[in-house]
Amino acid sequence: MKILSSPALLKRTLNEGQLSWAIRFLFLVSIFLIIILSFSYHSINRELIFYSERVDHSQQVLNKIQEIEKSMAEVTYHARGYLIMSDTLSRNMMLKKLDNLPAQQKSLRGLIEDNEAQILKNQLLIKAIDQFSDRVREFARQSPREFTYEETNQLLTNGSSLTLAVNTILQEMMGVEKKLMSNRLQSRNNYKEQIFRFNWVIMGVALIFLISAFILLERELKRNKLYKIELEYKVDNLNRSNSELEQFAYVASHDLQEPLRKIRSFTDLLLARSTDLTPESKMMLGKVDKSANRMQLLIDDLLSFSRLIDTSKTATSVDLNSILSEVKGNLSEKIRETSALIRHENLPTIIGYDSQMIQLFQNLISNSLKYVKEGQPPIVEVTCREVLGNDIPDVPDVKISQEDNLFYCITIADNGIGFKKEYAERIFVIFRRLHSQEKFQGSGIGLAICRKVVANHNGYIIAEGKEDQGAKFYVYLPKTTIYS
Amino acid sequence: MADDDADDRFLVQAAFEDNKIQQNILFFEDGEQLVDYLTNEKNTTPARFILLDLNMPKRDGRDVLKTLKNNAKLSQIPVIVFSTSKAPDDINSSYQLGANSYVVKPSSYEHLKEVIQKISDFWLNTAMTPM
Repeated sequence: MKILSSPALLKRTLNEGQLSWAIRFLFLVSIFLIIILSFSYHSINRELIFYSERVDHSQQVLNKIQEIEKSMAEVTYHARGYLIMSDTLSRNMMLKKLDNLPAQQKSLRGLIEDNEAQILKNQLLIKAIDQFSDRVREFARQSPREFTYEETNQLLTNGSSLTLAVNTILQEMMGVEKKLMSNRLQSRNNYKEQIFRFNWVIMGVALIFLISAFILLERELKRNKLYKIELEYKVDNLNRSNSELEQFAYVASHDLQEPLRKIRSFTDLLLARSTDLTPESKMMLGKVDKSANRMQLLIDDLLSFSRLIDTSKTATSVDLNSILSEVKGNLSEKIRETSALIRHENLPTIIGYDSQMIQLFQNLISNSLKYVKEGQPPIVEVTCREVLGNDIPDVPDVKISQEDNLFYCITIADNGIGFKKEYAERIFVIFRRLHSQEKFQGSGIGLAICRKVVANHNGYIIAEGKEDQGAKFYVYLPKTTIYS
Repeated sequence: MADDDADDRFLVQAAFEDNKIQQNILFFEDGEQLVDYLTNEKNTTPARFILLDLNMPKRDGRDVLKTLKNNAKLSQIPVIVFSTSKAPDDINSSYQLGANSYVVKPSSYEHLKEVIQKISDFWLNTAMTPM
């Protein structure tokens, strides 16, 4: 049969195992990258929230500082009012605003607890505010009306310097906090940019891996499709050649036999009716008849062989013991004639085609009864054991799928003439014989049928023999078989 | 007898002659001729049996068998399928279509003579056929 050429796409750069590992690797890497991606998204969110909080915090500190600054300004304002007017309202307002300072001071301290530099500055601030408060309280106890011009001037200068001291520290603290805030904003933005870049890279790599996995899978699918098409094509071809063989069988049975039958019939008629034939021409006509007869037998055998192709019948469970007794029944005349002895062990029941099994055993045993040593009654022994597919010897082509399966090994051994070792394979070829027609009659189809039957059962048959020391046939039949 | 092969018709006739069977034998070259003859009202001599080949041009043996066995009057005539084929399919389908027996054409003249002798013995002398 024509061997189909594979399309170029079917030529793989990776073998099946490598490919499946590559796909697995790509998939795992993609999944890993996607996990990293989501984790980094999670952490970027957390960091952003953290930095936003820090920025908010700085803003609060700044607000608090401004509040203190405002309170200071208010105290100063009312103090000046009191200095000028020496009224109780201004004095009270001054003291009231001054009382705000400790609370504000305290909440500022709470806000800057985490900052070493600000704490130091705060301590200075507390000292300065304390000095300022002391001075203000002292001032409140005095009566500004009694102040001389010099006293008033001195008080103003003194008050300004104390206020200035507080304000300077506040400005410094503000400066620190502002710097801190801008730093935090800067690093937040940096972080954002970095993480975005990082995310884009991971996403790109993950995409590349996923796409390459997809491409590989897609290519595999396409290949599978082509394989399927090729397989369908081959099945189609097989079916065609099978039906051609069936047609051939029909042609052989009908059209080839027809002329042969005529040759025989008319030579017969000629011999029966003609009165003027010389003995020589009668002899020749006899030879024509004999040859035609032999050809007829060959065609018959060929036909029975080709009928074995048809396995449309369903396989049933076949007890080989009953098959063997049926075979013995069929060969009973020959067995009696040769006073043969056929022994057999208990044989298994297999799933198969009973008529084919009968042909198998009948051909093997009748061979044992035919190829006997003169003056020695044939002894045939049929034994059975179980073997692994791996252990079948001398068959180099045990199907890989069958290597671990159990097989029944049925051995048919005789004490006949045997054969030379080198002929062990040749005897299974159709019409191939080791002996002349005169010595042993036959067409050479028997063992070919045996091999075909065993092949139909997904089994193997091998022959073993030595000249003049009997022949042994090993039939391997699978213990469990799936038939479609 | 219906057979498209002239040699076969000749051999069967020779076998009848050599067996000295005194019966009138009619030969047809295909199924159509046979059916035409049997359905013709003018032919009053009843047929004792029909030897029918399976593979013939125009109407083949299976077709003829179907026609005969579906005809109330003609279905009474015993039909012996006389073919070269030993295929189980041919044998089974012939009996299913109502053939009365199936005989494979013998491959030698001696054998043919014997078979014709047996067929005649049975269908003409042994078996009772519809009157």
